[in-house]
Amino acid sequence: MADALTQLGFASWLSVLIASIIKVTLILVGGSVGMMFLTWYERRAISYMQDRRGPNRVGPQGLLQPISEAIKTMTKEDATPREADRIVHFLAPVVMLGATVLSFAVIPWGRMFPVDLNAAVLFVIATGGLHSIGMMMAGWGSNNKFALLGGMRGVAQLISYEIPQVMAIIPVVLMTGSMSLQKIVEAQNDFGGLGWFVFSPVGLLGFALFFTASLAEGERTPFDIPEADSEIIAGYMTEYSGMKFAVFYLSNYMSNLAVCFITATLYLGGGNGPGVDALGGFAGGLLSLIYFLLKSFALFFIMVLIRATVPRLRVDQLMGFAWKFLLPLVLVNILSASFWVALLRWDQQWPQLTEWFGAPSTADATNWGRLAIAVVLTLLINAGAVALIMRLTNRNVQKHLYTTDEELALGLS
Amino acid sequence: MNPIAIGVFIVIALLTLGSGIMVVTVRNIIHSALWLIASFIGVAALYLLMEAEFLAVVQILVYAGAVSILVLFAIMLTRQVTGEGVRVVFERWWVALLIALGLFGVIVPTLWQHGSTWEEASKLAQVGPAPVEGTAAAGLQVATATEIGRSFMGEYLLPFEVISILLLMALIGAIVIAYEERTRRRRVLTLAEELALKKRGIVEPRDAEGAVVALDSEQA
Repeated sequence: MADALTQLGFASWLSVLIASIIKVTLILVGGSVGMMFLTWYERRAISYMQDRRGPNRVGPQGLLQPISEAIKTMTKEDATPREADRIVHFLAPVVMLGATVLSFAVIPWGRMFPVDLNAAVLFVIATGGLHSIGMMMAGWGSNNKFALLGGMRGVAQLISYEIPQVMAIIPVVLMTGSMSLQKIVEAQNDFGGLGWFVFSPVGLLGFALFFTASLAEGERTPFDIPEADSEIIAGYMTEYSGMKFAVFYLSNYMSNLAVCFITATLYLGGGNGPGVDALGGFAGGLLSLIYFLLKSFALFFIMVLIRATVPRLRVDQLMGFAWKFLLPLVLVNILSASFWVALLRWDQQWPQLTEWFGAPSTADATNWGRLAIAVVLTLLINAGAVALIMRLTNRNVQKHLYTTDEELALGLS
Repeated sequence: MNPIAIGVFIVIALLTLGSGIMVVTVRNIIHSALWLIASFIGVAALYLLMEAEFLAVVQILVYAGAVSILVLFAIMLTRQVTGEGVRVVFERWWVALLIALGLFGVIVPTLWQHGSTWEEASKLAQVGPAPVEGTAAAGLQVATATEIGRSFMGEYLLPFEVISILLLMALIGAIVIAYEERTRRRRVLTLAEELALKKRGIVEPRDAEGAVVALDSEQA
């Protein structure tokens, strides 16, 4: 965009500035307006899943409902508890929203990349990690025990689930050889735009693990313990009202949306799809944007579906799930990803190995024999690991569900 | 470096230093931890200014996102968080000053030594062409993930492994400290289970635990 402006006759620094301002405005406005209608979408979808209609009075099909809600929150009283730490209480939603908006900077919109960082993948995770600071500030600054409990729970959850989330990305980085989202999207463009990572055994498991861990990072059901309303009111948001509450709400929805975008980019090929390369140019870019948004909103629909079907986990179950289920599977997935890379791409990744073992017959992934071996091998490893760990977890759960009479009598178990 | 970069550097450095000073002078411990986060982020911004994207992101991920949260958790587990009675300056402040000066005395000569290569690199950057590989100027560009990974797995393999073992030992130590013996640990009974116990007229679970503790103390 900056180049086009320079051609129009602006000075180079001015065109860079204008281009950046346009991009930032688009992201900010698109993000917040998109989020408003995302709430409408979620409420309608979950209503139909629960056999009711949802908001349908304001505007056609209730489409103007978010606007009326926005006006409502803006005119509400903005109350701060008297004994609260005023500055921290005020800054908490700002930190939350700031961190979320930052993560939108690196998201590739189809073939358009606002910023192409070398460490874009890590950047997204790091901005997600900043959420925990905002949560802690909100919990502590409110001077309310429910808020503090909710904040502590939320932070413990975020920190625990960050580990499987980061490690679920490692297979993708291994297969691509880069942490830039642009390179990751390019690497999934084989087979006429359908070479998405999710179609390989490694990518499938990685996708499932990453999406699950991201649900917890975005505090979606079944992992919405920080705001478990039946236990701790609204968690760290208890003492927030009016616009500050709306800012929390906004940042939550925007981070959920960012999770969908990132998952679509990492595993579902981003803007790749049949016909994008054939069209090329502006039309191809538009098609890739449509593909990208379709994939992301399909993922968001899955989130809503999960919210409508899965009950909330208990705190100890939540931690056990992260450390005893997700983490081992993620480690196994890294192992099978390295087998995958070793079988398919070793000549590209490690040229030194080519010197020792000689070059493979063809370098690309369409070497069907090697591809078949890699698929079977990684499928066996991953399926075996999933079966084993699920069995172990089940046994553990059953051991904790039932208590024998002797254990009851002793009060021990 | 061009003047804009120098200006940005001065602003970020002042902000980082300022929040660093706030860390040690603020009376509220939580506030000082929050200022610490601010200074971490300032350091990340400095890395970004040096075009070390990977380092900057890792700085935010590890320090601002994890270490500072651990600090906050630890503070919240202590009794006195705020309070006017908290003393900021202790009697042995001069020991801390000596240590800080010593560290400064190590860092400055090191930087001084590398100063010439730094200038060389910035001159090369101003002239235009990328620094030739193998020269000192190229050695300064250890910013990318690939370079860092190579140096971890190559040149600095031994320190890297030693630190890993150190962290592992710390992990095991934490588990040892936090570990309770399985026999002594009692699951919190649900209301239904407690009712079932009462119905059968069996001893209260609290008494059972008390008995276990008493037995232990007798043995010891």
